[in-house]
Amino acid sequence: MSAPTGHGADPDLTPMLDMVFQLVTFFMLVINFKSASLDQTLKLPVAGSARPVDSGGKDKLLILNITTGGKLSLYGRSIDVESYIEGEAQVSRLTAKREGKSIEPGGDLPEIVVVRADKTTPFSMVNKVITSCQKVGYRNFAMRAMNKEEGQ
Amino acid sequence: MSRRRKERKQSGVALNLAAMLDMAFQLLAFFIFTFKPSPVEGQISLRLPPPQAVKAKATESVKAGSNENNPKEAGVETLVISVSATSGGRIQSLALGEGTVANVPQLERQLQTVLADADLKFEQVLIQVSPRLQYFELMSVIDACTKQKLPSGQKLSKLSFVELPEGDGG
Repeated sequence: MSAPTGHGADPDLTPMLDMVFQLVTFFMLVINFKSASLDQTLKLPVAGSARPVDSGGKDKLLILNITTGGKLSLYGRSIDVESYIEGEAQVSRLTAKREGKSIEPGGDLPEIVVVRADKTTPFSMVNKVITSCQKVGYRNFAMRAMNKEEGQ
Repeated sequence: MSRRRKERKQSGVALNLAAMLDMAFQLLAFFIFTFKPSPVEGQISLRLPPPQAVKAKATESVKAGSNENNPKEAGVETLVISVSATSGGRIQSLALGEGTVANVPQLERQLQTVLADADLKFEQVLIQVSPRLQYFELMSVIDACTKQKLPSGQKLSKLSFVELPEGDGG
């Protein structure tokens, strides 16, 4: 058996680099930063008629994560329901005003309120959030649910 | 000049790809570790009208005991569903108008019959719910409603909720 000659092997790294860049591109395309606003710890209810809706980013959404205790969860922080909704409604009115569409106080706001409530949340808690939204002018709601039980 | 050009062409530049590969692997590792495919969520779209005061005519078919912010629209025929809950937040009893319904599938069948009747002209559904009822039980009732079609062919999307007083039906 001959001993290693000591000549350094010089592999061609180009194909490996190509493959790695392709993988990086794939992950960059599928990464979804919007999902950060969704509290993934919530267990959503199951509803057969719930359908995935992709408006292509045209609809303005107000996502409300409601925990079992009836608190709003925003990026992992627990926040007060009424002050948050009032603040968002004010922002919506100012945005509409800047776009030349004036919305009177109590008038219909264009945003769709996305209700993501834990399946064990009592109705009184969910109703409190919905009523707060209605008071400030939100009319369109989307109740989020899963099509089927997880793991099926 | 031409000799210099020739010399440049002949001496090939050897790129050290190892550094770029290291960086690309680091990026790849970041994306692999942070990749978490979220499950596809569906949604039920509803138009919830603002709360309105109770109208005398509109309360005829509503069970006694509903609270003040009854959001029934004037001039719109409303079908009332009442859902009471057990202390654990599960459905205890269901009622469609004044009649009792055994369970959600039966409610769905009855809704299909009632809403398909062009003479009755129901356009919206009012769901009276016990405050203790868990959200997934409410969603099963909403699911049964939103599957229905009105005689006009449109899907039923006008729903409203009323919270029953504490202790009613539970």
